[in-house]
Amino acid sequence: MRSVSVVGIGETKFGRFPETSLKELILEAGTKAIADAGIGREDVKALFMSNFSAQPFCGQGHMGPLAAEVLGLGNIPTIRIEGACASGSLAFRQALGAVATGMYDIVLVGGVEKMTHQSTEAVTSGLAGASDYGLEAGIGATFPSLFALIANRYFHEYGNVRDEMAMCAVQNHENAMLNPDAQMHKRITVEQVKNGLPIADPLTIYDCSLVTDGAAFVVLAATDVAKTFCLKRLVEVVGCGQAGDTLTLSSRNSLTTFAATLLAAQQAYAIADVAPSQIDLAEVHDCFTITQIINIEDLGFFAKGKGARAVAEGKTAANGQIPINVSGGLKAKGHPVGATGLGQIYEIVTQLRGEGGARQLKKADIGLTHNIGGTAATCVVSIFRGR
Amino acid sequence: MERRGNIYTYSVVRCGTEAFREMIPYVLAVIEEKNKKWMARIEGYSDKTDIKIGMAVTYLKDDENGNPIYMIG
Repeated sequence: MRSVSVVGIGETKFGRFPETSLKELILEAGTKAIADAGIGREDVKALFMSNFSAQPFCGQGHMGPLAAEVLGLGNIPTIRIEGACASGSLAFRQALGAVATGMYDIVLVGGVEKMTHQSTEAVTSGLAGASDYGLEAGIGATFPSLFALIANRYFHEYGNVRDEMAMCAVQNHENAMLNPDAQMHKRITVEQVKNGLPIADPLTIYDCSLVTDGAAFVVLAATDVAKTFCLKRLVEVVGCGQAGDTLTLSSRNSLTTFAATLLAAQQAYAIADVAPSQIDLAEVHDCFTITQIINIEDLGFFAKGKGARAVAEGKTAANGQIPINVSGGLKAKGHPVGATGLGQIYEIVTQLRGEGGARQLKKADIGLTHNIGGTAATCVVSIFRGR
Repeated sequence: MERRGNIYTYSVVRCGTEAFREMIPYVLAVIEEKNKKWMARIEGYSDKTDIKIGMAVTYLKDDENGNPIYMIG
């Protein structure tokens, strides 16, 4: 397998843009990524396109040719990839494999989602389709309620971490203050989170990630080829793992650790030959605040049951031992489902290149992204190293 | 499905999908019995109900789609 690097990144601002079309989001982020790579449109040999809900929310299917035409990519092969909230990193992983095996030298990976023109109830219903439609959504499960089930079980097994969950939201909002692409630029307090509009006990509106419009694209190239044209710090993809789990939550042995995360991380760390302690920063899938606590344990940054305390002690803050979600995460940067995984990669590459501006970390050489779909029925973990 | 079980975990849902809007607030739970777990709604909840993990639940009826609904006790 050939070494593969990220040579170009581009994203729209994440936010509420009900008047902006799918095509406009794609055009902006895709054009930025191609320009950032310093290549021409004709150099892109395939497009891997991620999207979850354009069909129900916008009436638009066939996302591959849609994006290829908007970006002027001609007759190249395209494919749309879907794995709920993990769609973006799944598309990234497929593209990675295609370059690593020598099928293409340079490919484009894109993700887009347009959601805010729909009502909250319609979005909740649409997203519920990422659970088992008959056994979960069909009896009244929503995504917040599924993660609320996980949170209450976590409280039962490890103690009540309500305050620390709120601190995850507070911290991610704080980080987003310095990210111009973030949807939220508003500081919040622990009390505000706990007293927010109740969604599914113990989760309030402030424990939930955002409904977001946005797009994010990355250009991947074989590292040997990238060296001939890339003028920026090369960011090599040194490890990528993927694992799955049962779609139904109740079929799992444990609800407080995600087997798919454990297995995907194990693969990624082994391929990269990197230990969790060597990771300088991570973007983890904080679809809900409890998820962020479970993720930082499952990824090996903290022992099981100790993640909440680590958050309270500031170890995951931007100036902490392992900065988590310096972008603001799904909670405050936003969660445009199909673009989310690629937005995480956008942040890691930005930091590894030293282009983070006001939010740039002092040390950023090895970064990790963690992206789950559903209740972690799909998980992709990727590790990046600046060369 | 078993006719009896215990609450493995639960949540009081206060913001639902279009199809379940009328039932809010309602309880969604994972029920456990004999090493088997399944998800179901628990009927008869009000904000005065003291609901806890480990509580016994009993089958009450099927909903219109044939999914079992349980009650506390």
